Amino acid sequence: MVPVEHYMVLATLVFFCGLAGVMFRKNLIMVLMSIELMLNAVNIVFVAASRELADLDGQVMVIFIITVAACEAAVGLAMVIALFRKYGTVNTGFLRMLRG
Amino acid sequence: MISYALFYLIAAFILLCSMMVVVSRNPVTSAIFLVTDLFFISALFAKMNAHFLAAIQILLYAGAIVVLFVFVIMLLNLKAEELKGARMTVPEIGVLIVSAIGFVVIAALLGADGATTGGDGRWTDEAITAAGGNTFAVAMRLFVNFVWPFELASVLILLAIVASVVIARKDSLVSSGVGSTAPAQGKGEKGKVAHGTR
Repeated sequence: MVPVEHYMVLATLVFFCGLAGVMFRKNLIMVLMSIELMLNAVNIVFVAASRELADLDGQVMVIFIITVAACEAAVGLAMVIALFRKYGTVNTGFLRMLRG
Repeated sequence: MISYALFYLIAAFILLCSMMVVVSRNPVTSAIFLVTDLFFISALFAKMNAHFLAAIQILLYAGAIVVLFVFVIMLLNLKAEELKGARMTVPEIGVLIVSAIGFVVIAALLGADGATTGGDGRWTDEAITAAGGNTFAVAMRLFVNFVWPFELASVLILLAIVASVVIARKDSLVSSGVGSTAPAQGKGEKGKVAHGTR
């Protein structure tokens, strides 16, 4: 059986791929996709820990995380559409109304 | 041995696809790589004997969420992103790499000295098989121990549906009022004022 640290390291690397996307991509849709990537990294950790600890609660948590991710994607994409309709762009460099 | 080889194969593909999601210039390419990535993560779940999660990973993530992304990309008719404006500065890259290394070290140390303890430890692979398989065991856990969070999740989904419809509607106050400099007081006037001043 592959030790749990290997799964944790893999999940960490995937999480930081997603974090780099959130930090450096300027397209709002790309930012949302990167967030999905980060949530998936967390899912890997939950399942690996569930297997390591022989406890099924981790797998139940993943079901809830997927639910929340679906809601987040739906609302986030609705906001992207609303912003695009108003400003004609989804570039985060232009959308800086909330910056003081 | 086979188990290790399979894990490293899947892990290599997951990492490759994750990087391609982030670095592809075209959003559609990114979405395709995201689907591939989710398939390999699903394979990893199946390898960890989480068969039910492997199934809903494909059904929900690849089948629903990424399709939603692709639909929105298609609606907005986005061009490939120009990476000129997205220059990363050296300090930002440095912070990211250093924190990544730190977290990898922490993750690698997790198994040392029994750092992973807790959990009830009842659900070994043999116990799950004896209880009727992974899907049955997870379902029992979900509908017996987590039934109220499950019901709350349905309320959350209802809220998300209503919010999406309200935000994305054409004459929505939210979509016409975002970023307006006018103070938000008149309910009906707000959208018109915002359009006028812009």
